[in-house]
Amino acid sequence: MIRIVTLDEYDPAILKALGKALYTAFAVGAEHSGSVTIPPGQVEPYDANKLLDALPKVQAFADDKVLYLTTRKLSPRKLASGEAPTAGITRYKGQRAILSSSVIKNLNPDTVKTLARYAMQEIGHAFGLHHCLDPRCAMYPSWTPSYPQGEASFCVFCRDTSEAVIRQTKS
Amino acid sequence: MPDVTPAPAAPLPVLNLSVGDRVVYPNQGLCNVTEIATDEIAGQKLVFVTLRFVETGGIVKVPKDKLAKNGVRRIATPDDVKKVFEFLRSDSERASLDWKKRARDNTERLSIGGLIGLAEVVKGLQVLSELRPLPPKEREQYNDARHLFVSELAAALNCTEADAEDALDVVLFPPGKERPKRSIEEFQGLMGDDLLGDDLLGLDGEAGAGEEEPEEKEKDEESSEEEGDDEDAPKKKPAKAAAEKPKKKLDLDTETTVAQGAALDGPAPKKRGRPPKPKPEPVAGAEPEAPKKRGRPPKAKPAEAEAPPAAPKKRGRPPKAK
Repeated sequence: MIRIVTLDEYDPAILKALGKALYTAFAVGAEHSGSVTIPPGQVEPYDANKLLDALPKVQAFADDKVLYLTTRKLSPRKLASGEAPTAGITRYKGQRAILSSSVIKNLNPDTVKTLARYAMQEIGHAFGLHHCLDPRCAMYPSWTPSYPQGEASFCVFCRDTSEAVIRQTKS
Repeated sequence: MPDVTPAPAAPLPVLNLSVGDRVVYPNQGLCNVTEIATDEIAGQKLVFVTLRFVETGGIVKVPKDKLAKNGVRRIATPDDVKKVFEFLRSDSERASLDWKKRARDNTERLSIGGLIGLAEVVKGLQVLSELRPLPPKEREQYNDARHLFVSELAAALNCTEADAEDALDVVLFPPGKERPKRSIEEFQGLMGDDLLGDDLLGLDGEAGAGEEEPEEKEKDEESSEEEGDDEDAPKKKPAKAAAEKPKKKLDLDTETTVAQGAALDGPAPKKRGRPPKPKPEPVAGAEPEAPKKRGRPPKAKPAEAEAPPAAPKKRGRPPKAK
């Protein structure tokens, strides 16, 4: 089960369309599971790692994936090899992921597929997928210029890998 | 006669580990040293190091003397990581176009190459993917190498795996830039690869072969239909297939590429085996023979079939005799 938890207000149509896109991609139920507020002490643009650690827990099963969705910006991360633009971050093979929809201009039910593409990448990381070489795949690095134009779908390899992982989950 | 016995290999350094150390087991990933104890096996007392895999939780016991031989090594240091990033930034890595050589090199790098070996595999296959999509097995190998690299990088830099992977991809996929399109000329001239053609890109053995199979099957079916029930047909198939096989198939073996290429230019090779039976020429004006039906002929109907059918046998106990 993929639980979408909002940190800000979203159009219910967008959340419904996002849940549908995630269900299509992973063949796992996806639904809006409520809202939480950002804990105090955080300043926009947020440090994605710190924010993800500070967010309140949501009731979920062990195999559930929780996607926190926010309209606010996440700051680029300074890494050993350079600065990485950050639309979202996930605990690899973990349960929690955060995604900022600020990277998408004019978010509406018609452009929700771009949001779904970003969300698929974060949930894919939570299922243990790495970045992909195929520019059409949702697991392609999200900071590339062509990424937002792509479809919300996986390449064959990533789809097979995610299906294999999901088959092995206990619940 | 000169002595041809090889010189003894230099002894591998003994890895001095203590409980709590983190090491990398080749092709498996990160391990924690959980125990070092002496066990007696077959009368021999050996010091065993117990390693627990971080990812799976599996346990393996390795004799201390064989740690280095098995390729167990310590986690890369930050200096090693810097060198690896420098290597990844350079545009020097080109995977061989010969898939056999590439597979051999990559397997060796994954097992004994250390962090730089993993980086070479990732970079090489990533650059190759800019020329053409990777075949499934290499795609899997790329994923494995990336997974091992990211987990070791995260341990070396003491960061999350998400950050480690993004640190790698910031170099491989620089932000704001699309990946370049490679041309075949960039890969040629490496270790004799200039002799190879497009057909040695590695797809022939896997994906390419699959695409060509239906055509070959159709040809075989056609030929078998023409020849009817001829018993020699299966024997002729390989020879015919070899003669009709496209150049791609012939060039699969690197070592014989040139020789086979030269043979293609010369006269056609003599076919082996019995020559095909000459087909009788059709007589002008005569109707063509109906095609011979294949399979077992239908059973002849028994003569009794024309007799009126017998009355159906009554079921149950026969009536008592009066």
